[in-house]
Amino acid sequence: MARVNILIAGVGGQGIITAGKIIAEAGSYSNTKVLIAETHGLAQRGGGVNIHVRIGDVNSPLIPFGKADYLVGLEAIEVLRNLNYASRNTEIIINNYIIRPVLPKVKLLSLNEILGKLRGLKVHVIDANSIALKAGNPKAVNAAILGFLYSLGAFRGLISEDSFIKALKHESNIIAFKLGMSVKSMLKVF
Amino acid sequence: MFELSSLKRIILGNEAIALASLSAGVGVATGYPGTPSTEIIETLSKYKIYVEWSVNEKVAFETAYGAAINGAYALTAMKHVGLNVASDPLMSSSYTGVEGALVIVSADDPSMWSSQNEQDNRYYGLHALIPVIEPYDPQSAHDLTIEAFKLSSKVKHPVILRTTTRIGHVRGPVELKPPSKPVLGKLIKDPKKYVLVPENARRNRLEQIRRWERIKNEIENLNEFIDNGSRDLIIASGISFAYVIDAIKESNVKANILRISTPVPIPKNLILKAVNEAERVLIVEEGEPIVEIQVKDILYDEGIRVELHGKDLISRIGEMTLDKIYYAFSKFFNLDIISDYLELPEEIPPRPPALCPGCPHRSSFIDLKKAIVMASFKPEETFISGDIGCYTLGLLPPFDAQDSSTDMGSSIGIANGVYRATGKIPIAVIGDSTFFHSGISALANAVYNKTPILVLILDNRATAMTGQQPSPSKNIDIGEVAKGLGVKYVKYIDPFDTTSSIKTLSEALRWVDSNKEPAVVIAKRACALLVTDVIKEDELPKASVNLDKCTGCSICYDYFTCPAIIPRSDKKAEIDVYTCIGCGACIPICPFKAISLVGKKPDKWDELWLG
Repeated sequence: MARVNILIAGVGGQGIITAGKIIAEAGSYSNTKVLIAETHGLAQRGGGVNIHVRIGDVNSPLIPFGKADYLVGLEAIEVLRNLNYASRNTEIIINNYIIRPVLPKVKLLSLNEILGKLRGLKVHVIDANSIALKAGNPKAVNAAILGFLYSLGAFRGLISEDSFIKALKHESNIIAFKLGMSVKSMLKVF
Repeated sequence: MFELSSLKRIILGNEAIALASLSAGVGVATGYPGTPSTEIIETLSKYKIYVEWSVNEKVAFETAYGAAINGAYALTAMKHVGLNVASDPLMSSSYTGVEGALVIVSADDPSMWSSQNEQDNRYYGLHALIPVIEPYDPQSAHDLTIEAFKLSSKVKHPVILRTTTRIGHVRGPVELKPPSKPVLGKLIKDPKKYVLVPENARRNRLEQIRRWERIKNEIENLNEFIDNGSRDLIIASGISFAYVIDAIKESNVKANILRISTPVPIPKNLILKAVNEAERVLIVEEGEPIVEIQVKDILYDEGIRVELHGKDLISRIGEMTLDKIYYAFSKFFNLDIISDYLELPEEIPPRPPALCPGCPHRSSFIDLKKAIVMASFKPEETFISGDIGCYTLGLLPPFDAQDSSTDMGSSIGIANGVYRATGKIPIAVIGDSTFFHSGISALANAVYNKTPILVLILDNRATAMTGQQPSPSKNIDIGEVAKGLGVKYVKYIDPFDTTSSIKTLSEALRWVDSNKEPAVVIAKRACALLVTDVIKEDELPKASVNLDKCTGCSICYDYFTCPAIIPRSDKKAEIDVYTCIGCGACIPICPFKAISLVGKKPDKWDELWLG
């Protein structure tokens, strides 16, 4: 049986745990085992957070270094912080969205500076915040990204589109997921 | 209630433990919130059994213990350091045993994702002679919780169920067993057993050792030997078993596996059976060498010498990972495992957790720092002893307002000692839930010993860090408590009202200095999340910056650091309307009066913040 590792990173409050719940629930509708290792408690308060998503023939929750098949950032800087989990074979998906860390006089990185640190890697940039707005729900960023991941084949043979639709429940999430699936034409491969 | 027709669920390990205890017949459940344990009691509180958030772990333990010695099936859940607080009754419970069942959940936090240390509470099992059961995934957390209740009621002895972050906070498929009728007790008076005067305790000690010998046999079946016909044996405890299974598959090695689900005591017969077939042994366990020292002890007694590896190949620092096991395998099996991963780039901006928009603590820290200067205290000579809660984030810039934070309630105790060593008046900063947890006795100490300290109690009406569980401050007025303890200077402030807060705090400092005894100031304003839980997002007012008045001085985003205030490219401030909750705390911060609120005050707004 196939096995897929997805590391989803972002900032506390962006709906990362919800994204994990959706994948796990969709997995159960497709009779596929999914394990999600979550970040709770103090770490969530606007700090950098991640979840480890392991799908298929897995028993243990954490992805080893370099073994993420997909590294996803709901926030762009957080991709860099989790780069250990990626190798040259990893597909990296970056949401074109930067959140300023809550620290005085912090030096931010621009998207171009971030991409500059990812030269030679397989990088997709997606504007998931705009997709979520277009779907009528600014919080549906996670659903848009899941749709995009789906279109990349991340869940092929493991979780069906119907299972995702069932797990997404709300209309605006489903629209965001479907819009995410269809943005292939506007993505930039870096 | 969960439906009996569909018992397969996608849930957290902690939820699996809660639902399993219902299946086992739990009648009384207690706890004090703490990551990674909180969801156990939160889940149970939705069902019709007696569930309470206690004021601290010791009281939670004693409440469950009191129920269990009168025949109930009881569960108490806490984080690993919480068991330190409850360790006094823990030791006694092993002497008396119980009549019903007592399951103690210790949620450990290797790698310290949300804790001050990564102590391995399996040691408590060895220390107290209490069996420790350790699951390896959410499903086994469910199944072994039921086994823990069975074992406890069978041998009439407490049982520790030890989890970790990657058990309790892992979501996965769990096949649930249906709930049973809760087991409550009937009054049992047996003072010869439960009054631990020396005569009784000595008799109990003999009984404790007898029960312990029985427990050693009873736990054998909870462990499993997987014979793959190899001369290499891997002994894996708890979650390490799950990692070992995956690592064996990945690296194509062959080994016999002994799954340990009772790291204390280890199953002696199974260990001897497995080791007798082995030429070489690798013990894989997270944290401390608990299984390793016991295996070595048994092998020495039996006169068995075998090549044995454990902590020489697996670090005792941090949580278990496949990378750690690959390293151990590369040495043990002499494999060439290539780890191919990308290096972290340099200059990634740090992103520590931050106080929420509208958090009253942010304003309290700003007020306090100004008050220190106004009272003519020297900031660099004023020790601020902090405590455990969201406000521990006051250690970060721009606040830099926590000089220590070591354990629950420590702020006041440490402040006592700081004054005795230095003669400088310190400030203890503590939350309301933490004050009731264990600050109260330290404050009594300061009154009793006349220790000149200022105690600033941040009363946000909740145990906020773990998810806004209720706090005793909702029903008990902290100011009345302080007065009742004999504190002569007790004042309340609203931290958003900066001018009067600074004045009161500086007066309090001067009062402590001239009277040489403790003073208490209570900063009373609700956790912002309690407010936004009630008010709908589209009803919230929003802050707005008048760009004609804004000079780009940066005070609001660099000195006040509300996440909703963002610098523009011209350094003027703007408000992120998705993040702003319209609390208004930033208004008095702007020296140019450039910030104002737009929108109507929602119904019950002031009551929610200040009630």
